[in-house]
Amino acid sequence: MKTLMTAAALAACASAAGAHYGMIIPSDNMLSQDEGRSVDLTLSFSHPFEGLGMVLEMPEEFTVTHEGETTSLLDTLEETQVMDDAGFATEYRFERPGTHVFAMTPKPYWEPEEDAFITHFTKTYVSAYGDDAGWDAELGLKTEIVPLSKPFALWAGNVFQGIVKLDGEPVPYAEVEVEYYNEDGSAAAPSDLMITQTVKADSEGVFTYAAPTSGWWGFAALNTAEEPMQYEGEDKAHELGAVIWVHFEPWATQ
Amino acid sequence: MIRSLVLALSFAAALPAAAHDLRVFASVSGGTVTVESTFSTGRIPTGGEVRVRDAEDTLLLTLPIGDGGETSFALPDGASETGLMIEVDVSEGHSDYWLLTPEDIAHGQETN
Repeated sequence: MKTLMTAAALAACASAAGAHYGMIIPSDNMLSQDEGRSVDLTLSFSHPFEGLGMVLEMPEEFTVTHEGETTSLLDTLEETQVMDDAGFATEYRFERPGTHVFAMTPKPYWEPEEDAFITHFTKTYVSAYGDDAGWDAELGLKTEIVPLSKPFALWAGNVFQGIVKLDGEPVPYAEVEVEYYNEDGSAAAPSDLMITQTVKADSEGVFTYAAPTSGWWGFAALNTAEEPMQYEGEDKAHELGAVIWVHFEPWATQ
Repeated sequence: MIRSLVLALSFAAALPAAAHDLRVFASVSGGTVTVESTFSTGRIPTGGEVRVRDAEDTLLLTLPIGDGGETSFALPDGASETGLMIEVDVSEGHSDYWLLTPEDIAHGQETN
């Protein structure tokens, strides 16, 4: 019995109950002029609640979009470790006020446990210098969550709403996985079912989620590409994830 | 430097940040400072005043808000070392400021 329990415990430790997410986490998502002129950005492919890292190869694209203009930041990325695995980091200086959307298109990730490739089109929105213009920007990614709530300046307990799009069209009843970035490991889930929560969009592709606490929350709308990918000569499914990271602020009193 | 300017000119803390608030941004290109003033709605103020102060709170310039909400002026002597406080006031109590730090000025002169 002891051997069996040990094996079970080891298996539990070795496997992740949560979902994997492309992640872009800025050091500040509402940079005011008295806080400085730049933010640090960390890119990874991780299990955010459990703090388990996965390997993120150099992405195919990493961009910033501001006032409709998209600029590649790929050359600025530097290798780093995120959750004990390979990720990337950079610093970005804001030349202008307004919302800046950072977006990553990673290389497709082969996940043998799911017998599928995974590509998470990942983005986050940062307001510079007190200006929120452009907070609802749609980038035209293969798949993306277009915010209906301003994706920053949210209190904990507020709802976040977005519309799931694939090839520019809303995805009716899209499934959206939601997970908290348990950065300091202090959050505990009473059940594995609560590590990754799931909501579905309505018939117009609109989903709603109320965050129970402050911090970074990841929303991943998952669809399967029409075209499979090849692995060792066989067709394999290709999961397309539309991921957005949103920060909720703690209620503050004076 | 940014924080010290804020402390030196603490009146700025009282400025409002409510709906339809004014937003001010200033940048340097070569030897020219450009101040941009807009409302949060995206509208442009039709009138108002731009005041330029040094780090000692000495008023250096008073200028009208120009067309398109833009106001430009030559970088005052010594500003590169101490920075500038740029205040903008428009009607109905809307006001905002931008602290142009020595680092901002150096960056603008290097990249523009």
